[in-house]
Amino acid sequence: MQQLISRFTIPTVLAAVIFGTCLPLTVHAETPMPWSERAIFEHVDQSRFAGVLSKAELDELIAFGETLFGARFTTLDGGGRPMATQAIIPTKRKRAAPATFQRLAGLDSNSCASCHNDPVMGGAGDFAVNVFVSEGFNNADFDSTDPQFSNERNTNHLFGSGLVELLAREMSADLQGIRREALKLARKTGEEQRLRLVSKGIRFGWISAKPDGLVELKEIDGVDTDLVIRPFSQKGVMTSLRQFTVNALNHHHGMQPVERFGARWTGETDFDEDGKSDELTAGDVSALVAWQAALPPPGEMVPESTEWQKAAAQGGEIYQTIGCASCHVPALPLDSLAFHDPGPLDAAGTMRSTETHNGAIYDLELLNWAQELPRNEQGQIMVPLFGDLKRHKMTDRQIAAFGNELLSQRFVERDVFQTTELWGVGSTAPYGHRGDMISLDEAIRAHGGAGRDAREAYLDLEDADQTALIAYLKTLVIEP
Amino acid sequence: MIISLKTGLVLAISAACLSHSFAQEAVAPMMDVPVLEEVALKAGVDHSYTGAWEHFVGGGVAVFDCNGDRLPDMVIAGGTSEAQLFVNNSTAGGPLAFTAVDGGLPDKSSKGVTGFYPLNLDNDDYTDLVVLRVGENVILKGGPNCSFTSANRAFAFDGGRAWSTAFAATFEPDQQFPTLAFGNYVDRSAAGSPWGTCHDNVLIRPGAVDVPNYAEPQFLTPGFCALSMIFTDWNRSGEPALRMTNDRQYYRDGEEQLWRVSPGRPARTYRRADGWKTVRIWGMGIAEADLDADGLPEYALTSMGDTKLQTLDEEADEASPIYRDVAVEKGATAHRPYIGDDLKPSTGWHAEFNDINNDGRQDLFIAKGNVETMPDFAAYDPDNLLLGTFDGKFVEAGGLSGIALNRRGRGGAVVDLNMDGMLDLVVVNREAPVSLFQNRGAHTESGPRPMGNWLQIELRQRGANRDAVGATINVKSGNETRVRKVQIGGGHASGHLGFVHVGTGVAERAQIRIKWPDGEWSAPYRVFANNFVVIEKGSDVVQYWYPPEAEETQ
Repeated sequence: MQQLISRFTIPTVLAAVIFGTCLPLTVHAETPMPWSERAIFEHVDQSRFAGVLSKAELDELIAFGETLFGARFTTLDGGGRPMATQAIIPTKRKRAAPATFQRLAGLDSNSCASCHNDPVMGGAGDFAVNVFVSEGFNNADFDSTDPQFSNERNTNHLFGSGLVELLAREMSADLQGIRREALKLARKTGEEQRLRLVSKGIRFGWISAKPDGLVELKEIDGVDTDLVIRPFSQKGVMTSLRQFTVNALNHHHGMQPVERFGARWTGETDFDEDGKSDELTAGDVSALVAWQAALPPPGEMVPESTEWQKAAAQGGEIYQTIGCASCHVPALPLDSLAFHDPGPLDAAGTMRSTETHNGAIYDLELLNWAQELPRNEQGQIMVPLFGDLKRHKMTDRQIAAFGNELLSQRFVERDVFQTTELWGVGSTAPYGHRGDMISLDEAIRAHGGAGRDAREAYLDLEDADQTALIAYLKTLVIEP
Repeated sequence: MIISLKTGLVLAISAACLSHSFAQEAVAPMMDVPVLEEVALKAGVDHSYTGAWEHFVGGGVAVFDCNGDRLPDMVIAGGTSEAQLFVNNSTAGGPLAFTAVDGGLPDKSSKGVTGFYPLNLDNDDYTDLVVLRVGENVILKGGPNCSFTSANRAFAFDGGRAWSTAFAATFEPDQQFPTLAFGNYVDRSAAGSPWGTCHDNVLIRPGAVDVPNYAEPQFLTPGFCALSMIFTDWNRSGEPALRMTNDRQYYRDGEEQLWRVSPGRPARTYRRADGWKTVRIWGMGIAEADLDADGLPEYALTSMGDTKLQTLDEEADEASPIYRDVAVEKGATAHRPYIGDDLKPSTGWHAEFNDINNDGRQDLFIAKGNVETMPDFAAYDPDNLLLGTFDGKFVEAGGLSGIALNRRGRGGAVVDLNMDGMLDLVVVNREAPVSLFQNRGAHTESGPRPMGNWLQIELRQRGANRDAVGATINVKSGNETRVRKVQIGGGHASGHLGFVHVGTGVAERAQIRIKWPDGEWSAPYRVFANNFVVIEKGSDVVQYWYPPEAEETQ
């Protein structure tokens, strides 16, 4: 708390006084008592962070985002949602929540960092901090912990998430461009056109366009039918850090961002009826997005042990030869590090780029870690995510461990998941979408469906080769 | 004398409403208010509805695709002027653009026209048109590229000589072709005309043959000068009844009417013994919507003075259509102008529910305008845009949105004309140019911004009833269900056929279930918002449709 005040409020106010022309960082700033139980004393004024941000501006915003990410929200901030459910669409409870905290329907934490903390803030979470996705109980006002009403998920790490979102945006643009081209050709030729959907080397099936503008969706594979790659969550069902952040703030903490829960969409400034109006501004959400987007990507560490180095090198080759890399693609090329916030793909309820004049561009190139990213011959950044941002069916008749959920989520079947990005896997045990696989070996053996061939190839390896593969994966770490 | 009496009644009715909805315009609503920019001339639409007494009423527009590109084209009644066909050349999200097609309608069907309704009557690939006229009505058979030919003879349809002002159609069970209902106004040749001389209305069922055969009408007696009618499944029975709103200006001992139309049996009115309550208004237009998604529709009935908003009363049951008026409590009376100094009662015509600001709640558009120069009614009588509020009521936003023009509105349509997901608005005005409003998005001090999410849904089925008239569309997002019906009829002499628009607010995806006209429920279809969705009966997947973009037309 003291740190927050000293880092932001006082310097900002001083700067404004001393330099006169400087604008304050925030709006609604208050001078807190030293013993205050509030976590937020000021809110970010989005208009202060519009356009292409300088390094100093970006750092300022990121720093505030870090503070918010680590803040333990209290009722004085608006934490809690006695009369609102955790649903993504603002939904009233029928009666006040019987308890502030509840593991399924939330609240389940009062800080982002309560779960995203392994090995450092922004990281993943142990099984102990699993969360329960809200699908299936939008209107829950009961205290059941029956899993039939939700799916239990392990907490993902957020490192490199800015790069992930940028990749997803570029890939979505590619796929939608192919659809546009198919339509254009079909209208021009008067004949149906069937084009392969491919972006950055990842194939997403086929799309067929008819001369009358109709598009067949049956052959689309691994991406939503609107050809928006939603790269976040284990299912790949969240479009952007911004959408994910708005959802999570309400679900996990009962902190309701104005851009979805405010008067424009709900008719109320205090939708959750906790006595606090307009709990988080658009600028606050932007700060959280900026901090997450700026988290460095996990890397591939060089072990001190020469024996491990040797094994990892061998494991890296095995990773390629047995087929892991067909889905866990080591790197995808990225054209631009300009992170627009709001982004181009969100729908109403998450701030859209087209509905504000105060959109910002975070040039991730300004960040130190960006200088170290490898580039290909075309100058593209090779993002080492070890993933393909595509969904796959992960079960078959014999191997069905990943089919242990009872509910589909946001149109994605229960045994279909987006390829887990393996960057950071060495730092983020346990594994699997439920976090119930203790070892990498166990997780590999659980691959059915689209991962079955690679699994079988892994099982066919000599013990030493299996160990080498693990040695390699353990080098993919989040380095604090 | 009659006018004075009428005025007194209107004022009495309206008095109770004054404190509720008047001057609500002064406070900007919390939800998005669309910026509706009048662009008719820029868009190539220059047309007026003209004529003497016979054209004090009418002035309709049909909005539908007549050339197979799925863009909504328009045919607008002209009264004594020629009706005019306008082909839509707009591109996705671009400026509204239409081309007037001279001679687009056969001679007989272009003069003396009061209104139009689109309908695929013969189950071919083209939408047909029902032309309401002062004199013989005409069924125009649609053909390629917006071509139309009279089909009265081919379909054994006697257009009569009445002054027709209302129309509705439904497909009855096991029928290949639709049942048609025509509403007629004053019988000018009857003794004592105009008062107490309303024409009978007509119900025509298709003959049991391979082609439409409308040789055997049933006269719906008594007629009370219907100005709007709609087939409506008021009791969730699956058997639509025929709701009529009638103009008390000319009937004697008349009232609003609901006709039971049971398959194979003559239609008959619901009576007081059935629970039907007498309501006498200057009924001009009907809009239907299931505002609370309970499967029982509400009806907005426009009139002189206050608009009625009827909902089924708790005392009603499936055989007893007992309605109560909730317009006052819902803030939907729209009984006099919301801006200006003219405090006289207003005159409502076309009414249509739709979600014009994409916030997930139904809004209500009402075309307004003095009959001609009635001194006891508002002369400057701007159209209403009643936005649905968060608590299930309505708030006026006509002035803020930009539609409060000094024109005498009649028919209209609330339709997305440039396929950008935002509903535009066309209003046919009496003795004044058609108003064409392009929806620019939500009003803000720094210019329009995008509104909420949306879906537009087209239903198709093979064989009879290609456009699934009578189908119910349920769109579910989270806990919210939004209901739409595919209907032919209602409004004021105006109809729309094509994509059905549903605003979904902040929901970015939805499940759609269809109750097809034969009563069969579809499986749920999972769709993403902000898309045009085409659903064919029996298909397990939807198709998306994409409108032409500007670069494709260059």
